[in-house]
Amino acid sequence: MGRVDFNDVKHETRTFAGVTVPVSVVPRFKRQAYPTRFLFSLKSLVDGMRLTFGYLVRPSTVVTRQYPENRATLKFPERYRASLKFKFDENGYQSCNGCGSCERACPNGSIILETRKGATGKNEIERYIWRMDSCVLCNACVEACSFGSLEMSHDFENAVYDRRLLVYTLNRYAGPTANVLLKEENLEAREAMMTKIDAYGGQVPMNGYALPTVAALGTPREKAATDGKGEAS
Amino acid sequence: MTVRVRTLDELLTPPAAGSSALSTQEYFVNMGPQHPIAHGSLRLVLRLDGETVKEVIPVPGFVHRGIEKMCEKLNPRQIIHLTDRLDYLSAVMNNWGVAKAVEKAANIETNGRIETIRTLMSELQRIQSHMLWWGVLGMDLGAYTAFLYAFRDREIISELFEETIGARLTMNYVRPGGVMFDILPDFQEKVKKLLKYLGPIIDEYDTLLSGNVILQERLRNVGVLDGKKAVALGCTGPVLRASGVPLDLRKLTPYGRYGDVEFNVAVGSKGDCWDRYYTRMEEIRQSMRIIEQLIDSIPEGPVNVLRASARISIPEGTYYDQIETARGVLGVMLVSDGKSPSPYRVHFRSPNFNNLWAVTALAPGWRIADIITIQSSLDLVIPDIDR
Repeated sequence: MGRVDFNDVKHETRTFAGVTVPVSVVPRFKRQAYPTRFLFSLKSLVDGMRLTFGYLVRPSTVVTRQYPENRATLKFPERYRASLKFKFDENGYQSCNGCGSCERACPNGSIILETRKGATGKNEIERYIWRMDSCVLCNACVEACSFGSLEMSHDFENAVYDRRLLVYTLNRYAGPTANVLLKEENLEAREAMMTKIDAYGGQVPMNGYALPTVAALGTPREKAATDGKGEAS
Repeated sequence: MTVRVRTLDELLTPPAAGSSALSTQEYFVNMGPQHPIAHGSLRLVLRLDGETVKEVIPVPGFVHRGIEKMCEKLNPRQIIHLTDRLDYLSAVMNNWGVAKAVEKAANIETNGRIETIRTLMSELQRIQSHMLWWGVLGMDLGAYTAFLYAFRDREIISELFEETIGARLTMNYVRPGGVMFDILPDFQEKVKKLLKYLGPIIDEYDTLLSGNVILQERLRNVGVLDGKKAVALGCTGPVLRASGVPLDLRKLTPYGRYGDVEFNVAVGSKGDCWDRYYTRMEEIRQSMRIIEQLIDSIPEGPVNVLRASARISIPEGTYYDQIETARGVLGVMLVSDGKSPSPYRVHFRSPNFNNLWAVTALAPGWRIADIITIQSSLDLVIPDIDR
């Protein structure tokens, strides 16, 4: 036993602001004479060292994970949020109809939706832009979507050298939802409704696309400034 | 308490002579904005006589992001994600603070399951937060081992959060009207396992650090804050309780499921760094008690009483609600004009801002090394100070 007896927690009741509060008064120091105090002090240091060395000789207690090496076996919980993803069905069709509830739910404008009038006269998605550079992964968009078109994926290694690479286009094609497409039996007619977005979902340099504040990557600075699509950052 | 306001002229006058018989001068030293003990960007201007601190002038504001102003453009659901970034170590509790204020304002009734899950998560987070503080206090005082031990065990709770919520730090979990996700089927079992593991671990912490004579001598009788002064400074949380004032909102105005459970409020008797240290250690044990009592009695029910797309309209008026986070009282004030979905004005009474000024009362007379002890024992999270 050292200078402080850790089991010496006093349990009392006190009245504070008209409420009876049960309290635990934490232990304090005991008076100890010189030789005892010295020996106990020495023992306290030895105790700590013994604990540390105890772990040293028991390799089974090591908890370190070797991250880049264990990449293949890394497992993430189902709900882990690392980046936003579109859900596609087995045909590769999306269920997003461009209603914009995710755009409204987003607290910092990280989702930009561009819609167009489709062949059936309904609104359909043209480009679903997700700005990872400002996204906080708060899950508000996934929660707000009543069609289950969005999900959080586990791809967490998103570091890039240029922040413009963090602007993603999530949809693979501009066109109607799976429901509308499956009504159309003729495959060719189906294809006609969809405009492929050649590069999708990956780290594509803005898809050659400029936002008001972000210039398309690969565009020369001067060109970006003159064509008015945005300024190079 | 008197407030001393100094003019610029007064500050610019040549420093007074030091107390030594030799010809010495007082001088100023900047501690921070980048200093390992600040755990963030906090500048402390020290007026020193030799190594003795005469005065501490905290200069906060380096992490100011204008969160309160941002809230004026967001609806109540969107405000939640900003509160993760106040005191990031009590993210769930901050979320709950806003959710509670909004529920009070908009008259939203939650159910037992929601309140139980919120209470459980808050207590897990309190343990996690105190564990991190324990490790960091050790590291500040030169015991790097403690830091590694704390992070080893904190990881278990982090993983629980990761599984249930999907994030480890900025969780955005508690929403007005409920929580974002239901708990997983094996959550209860995992928490029980965790509690079984934590009991001996906290004793191990006592052996490793609390019992260590070097730590004891560096904390004992250093930076004594008496109860009256702590109240006058507006300190809350473990800092105030260590001074012997049992102010704990979980007891005084029970919210969530705190009214149904038995637990003690850990208090100190003297108000020195040791009391602040051991109050938190005791709080970990009390939090474990709360979780133990609640983990088997989670009622059935939906985890959100509102639809995700439901509009939350706050009637015109001013609303205030407060919650006990790991560091003290977080007050949320909402002013609504009754027309727009976003509040007209939001103010957070953050615990760390008030706790910070305790350093001005505690530090004079101590050495520079003791400032580190004192600041570490106050457990400041800088983004919560600046907001």
